Amino acid sequence: VISQAHSNREPNLLARIYRHRTDYLYIAPALGLMFLVIGYPVYDTIYLSFFNTPPSLAMEDKVFIGLNNYWSILANEEFREVTWNTFLWTVFSTFFAFVLGLAAALSLNQEFIGRGLMRGVLLVPYVISGVAASYIWRWLYHSDFGVIGAILVAVGITDKPVNLIDNVDTVLPSLIVVNVWKEFSFAMIMMLAGLQTVPDQLHRAARVDGAGPWHRFWHVTVPHLRGVTIVTVLLLLVSNLNSFIIPWIMTGGGPVGASNIWITAIYQLAFERVRFGIASAYSVILFIVMMAMGYFYVKALTRRDGETTR
Amino acid sequence: MNRASSRRRTDVWSAMRIVFLTMLTIFTLLPMAWMVLTSVKTQFAALQYPPQWIPRSITFEQYWRLLSPTSDVGQEFLGYMFNSLIVALASTILSVLVAVPAAYAFSRFRFPGRNLLFYTILLRNMFPAVVFLMPLFIMMRWLHLVNTEMSLVLTYLTFGLPLSIWLLKGFYDNIPLQLEQAARIDGASRFQAFIRVVMPLSSPGIIATAIYSFILAWNEYVYALTFLNEKSKLTLPVGLQRFFTEYATNWPGLMAASFITSVPVVVLFLVLQKYFVRALTEGAVKA
Repeated sequence: VISQAHSNREPNLLARIYRHRTDYLYIAPALGLMFLVIGYPVYDTIYLSFFNTPPSLAMEDKVFIGLNNYWSILANEEFREVTWNTFLWTVFSTFFAFVLGLAAALSLNQEFIGRGLMRGVLLVPYVISGVAASYIWRWLYHSDFGVIGAILVAVGITDKPVNLIDNVDTVLPSLIVVNVWKEFSFAMIMMLAGLQTVPDQLHRAARVDGAGPWHRFWHVTVPHLRGVTIVTVLLLLVSNLNSFIIPWIMTGGGPVGASNIWITAIYQLAFERVRFGIASAYSVILFIVMMAMGYFYVKALTRRDGETTR
Repeated sequence: MNRASSRRRTDVWSAMRIVFLTMLTIFTLLPMAWMVLTSVKTQFAALQYPPQWIPRSITFEQYWRLLSPTSDVGQEFLGYMFNSLIVALASTILSVLVAVPAAYAFSRFRFPGRNLLFYTILLRNMFPAVVFLMPLFIMMRWLHLVNTEMSLVLTYLTFGLPLSIWLLKGFYDNIPLQLEQAARIDGASRFQAFIRVVMPLSSPGIIATAIYSFILAWNEYVYALTFLNEKSKLTLPVGLQRFFTEYATNWPGLMAASFITSVPVVVLFLVLQKYFVRALTEGAVKA
């Protein structure tokens, strides 16, 4: 275990595994759990996606139907609508959360009184329960007594309270606002951590050379933030593709599917219409998109590992 | 560039910074302020248009009702809170116990397949919770764990693991191997060296991962919604939803319940946030 450099030169893989056998004990519980709660479900999802499952969930009565679940999803008009909603939801949420988070991180990256407190306050939406956040915003958007409608009237934008989340045209942007409110501080804290790795000497050297704040930002800060930016954006993209609570609690995907995204559609298929087979096929499609992102995520992480160890 | 113009520019920047931060803070806090203001109104006062921006009279009746063990609503709500606490504590403790040795092994040992396994674990974050819902539901039924806290603990455990292992590995990477070797030369076993040298140095990381796991478990909704169907077993987020469907027009009550649900995680986070930020900086971004 200790003579690591030595063991790496050993030619036989099995011999190396045997030599390191006690090492695996350390990771066995983690791997076992991950297998149980992830490995098996992945397998089962792919498997079920080829079957027509009975609503009773008596799985022994399922019927093999090949790729028919996939064809019926792809041919479905609703699927295209849901995919478009998912695209808008994911891209806009990620963009605004990242931009707000980055701006907040840059503003907080200087010592001033109350900085720690402000950072903490900005993080509150990120740590509270999504269900509580959704109800808070549902109340803010309330059609008759909502404070947002009242503010719009008071400012003179509309003459009577508007119903933003029961309206097909405004529901998705309204939910994106909630989502950005909830997650921008995740981007903030990641970028803040990234900013702290920018060496101070570089900034001072640039200042001595007469570089203004904008030049210092563009030529010193930005190149240092590339790695953490990639990781942050990918994590935001993935968490937005996976969001469920906000659309589910606030609108349930409605009105008439205007805020239905992949995840809420899958949940409806599986647990309201009890069609596990087709819902599994839906999940597999989502999966493939995720794995493509996962590839870039791991690539970004490994590249940064390489950079720091070199 | 002369000094005066650079000075003026710096002033413009810092003025913009202050304006931006003020607006951002208002955007962040207004919804929560409205939650608190609504929760102390009477039901009648809450359902008025135009709204009472400042409540004309303040009442804590909703809080009394939710937190008194003698009322029906209170009994229900305190039950949800207790269930959430048990589930969150159990999954936090277990997840730290599982993550610490794994992260240590990934940092210190060079066993075959190390990188492959490490990145496989990290990939967990890529999978949407709902995708696992159906097979896990079938599996929990098969294991007779539906409607038990155990099903949630088992699932929540794995949520926090990838980030915990990643953060802790970063911490262990930064602890010089020589420190451990010195302890071992002094006669400590690997385990003793770990407990006396490595553990104290990585405690900020462990605290951060524990907070993270606790918050994830406390707030989780989808699995709790699917795995539990007995009223007495529900956790807070699902309880909130149930509360909403039962008392749909009682917005002050719902806001009070949302407030009480949020308080523990917010307090925990604000008190311990410096560990979290430090862990991200040391563990994640640098590693």
